[in-house]
Amino acid sequence: MSFEVIKAGIFTTLQDRGRFSFTHLGVTNSGVMDEYSSLAAHKLLGNSLDTNILEITFANVELKASVNTSVCVTGASCEFFINDELKNCWQVYSIKKDDIVKIGTIKDGQRVYLGVKDGFDIPKEFGSNSTTIKESLGGISGTQIKNGNVLSYKSTFSNTTQRWHQKHIPFYGKELTLRVVLSYQEDSFSIDEKEKFFSSEYIVTRDFNRMACKLSGEKIVSSLDGIISEAITFGSIQIPKDGQPIVLLKERQTIGGYPKIGTVLSIDCFKLSQMKIGSTIRFQEIDINTAQEKLRDFYSTFV
Amino acid sequence: MEIKLASVDSVIIYFSDTISKKTSTEVKSAYKLLKSLDDKSLIEIVPSYTSILITYDIFKYSFEDIKVFLNRLLENLKIDEESASKIINVDVYYAEEVGLDLQRVATKANISIDEVIKIHSSKVYDVFAIGFLPGFAYMASVDKSIVTPRLESPRKKIPKGSVAIADTQTAIYPQNSPGGWNILGKTTFELFDKSLESLSPLTIESRIKFNPISKEEFLKQGGSLEF
Repeated sequence: MSFEVIKAGIFTTLQDRGRFSFTHLGVTNSGVMDEYSSLAAHKLLGNSLDTNILEITFANVELKASVNTSVCVTGASCEFFINDELKNCWQVYSIKKDDIVKIGTIKDGQRVYLGVKDGFDIPKEFGSNSTTIKESLGGISGTQIKNGNVLSYKSTFSNTTQRWHQKHIPFYGKELTLRVVLSYQEDSFSIDEKEKFFSSEYIVTRDFNRMACKLSGEKIVSSLDGIISEAITFGSIQIPKDGQPIVLLKERQTIGGYPKIGTVLSIDCFKLSQMKIGSTIRFQEIDINTAQEKLRDFYSTFV
Repeated sequence: MEIKLASVDSVIIYFSDTISKKTSTEVKSAYKLLKSLDDKSLIEIVPSYTSILITYDIFKYSFEDIKVFLNRLLENLKIDEESASKIINVDVYYAEEVGLDLQRVATKANISIDEVIKIHSSKVYDVFAIGFLPGFAYMASVDKSIVTPRLESPRKKIPKGSVAIADTQTAIYPQNSPGGWNILGKTTFELFDKSLESLSPLTIESRIKFNPISKEEFLKQGGSLEF
């Protein structure tokens, strides 16, 4: 009752919403980089929102089913085949024994999500299935999915072909504006520096992984060289000495000593995680009350 | 005490802008109180040297609500002056073959290697923060006679179990990692142990004392001399 991994792809990991309540010991949250796409897959499949899912960063994944289930592929737009027949992303399909599910070339975006009905039956580690390779936690043996792995799931049958509304299926493209609440050490950035930050364009560099996204562009200066190390939240924008912003993402270090100008709205970090290297990023200030409304709206869609 | 915005769903409480034992005691007392509430809408509570970050459920608290709530809660915070936690003894093999910077620290302090070992192992250290790596506890304060700055260029690999100092702090590397701290010795003490329900034997409230052991004892405990 499982998928046999015929081709694991270059970087495929099992994730869920993350590992919480061990951060005080230095354990990072981890979890899906793009919650919008993964939650959409779970909603279409009728799964609870903390169900696990595969996060596929480079294409060429092939799975063989041993029993019936339903699958849904969301996130980056990609070639998605069932038995060599091209299917729609953001739609649920039933799968029979011996069916082959294949993820081919990724066209727009960076991360594909592949969920099954009720998730994969893999024991959690410290409250989560999220894989953090540097901590050897989660997934299967704390590492990425490999050829030959067996991903078990419960046998289910349904005829549903639920599909995400076309107008809500994202197109990621090469440009993105990130909404930012000023936070932490914002006082250490002068009005001029803040203005520069909010009016400049930044480029997504190669230093972009599950931990952080380093940008390059106009240099931003803080009046502080460093700060007393403190806990860092998702989306924090660190400004190191070279003045190039770093947006901290799901596998960030739990504490750090660089000044932070603000924090990207979490729901915008989900979009950032789909941007390709070389994309253009702009920042836009948002006040905390509006930001909280946006966040409540976002999660209300998935309840 | 000052509560600042950290993100759309988190705030950070600053207790002071300097590192001191007094501030650390305040942080620990507040952390204990916050944990004791067992409030599921406080999703993450992460203490550090002078601050505590709290991630909260925005369906339960707005930014204003959480500020009011925390201010009220912490307004009359009782400070636990003396830590009740018992001292954890950590066996360390101090020798140049595993403590690559023993000589550097001794030279800088103008004392012998034996004296460095004696000074480092005679104090009880408090944990001030845990982070950087899972289980990496920043402990202080190292006696001022052996205070040594970080290496100018960090090593690509510091082996797991290395006991090291940087400025007034000391720590044990929980896993192989790049790092710039001065290595004094090595231990087999596990800081990040998946077989423990708590994941780590240390918390922010722990107190640690290093106990020098012989090479034979270190090897008997399963220690490795490899780099």
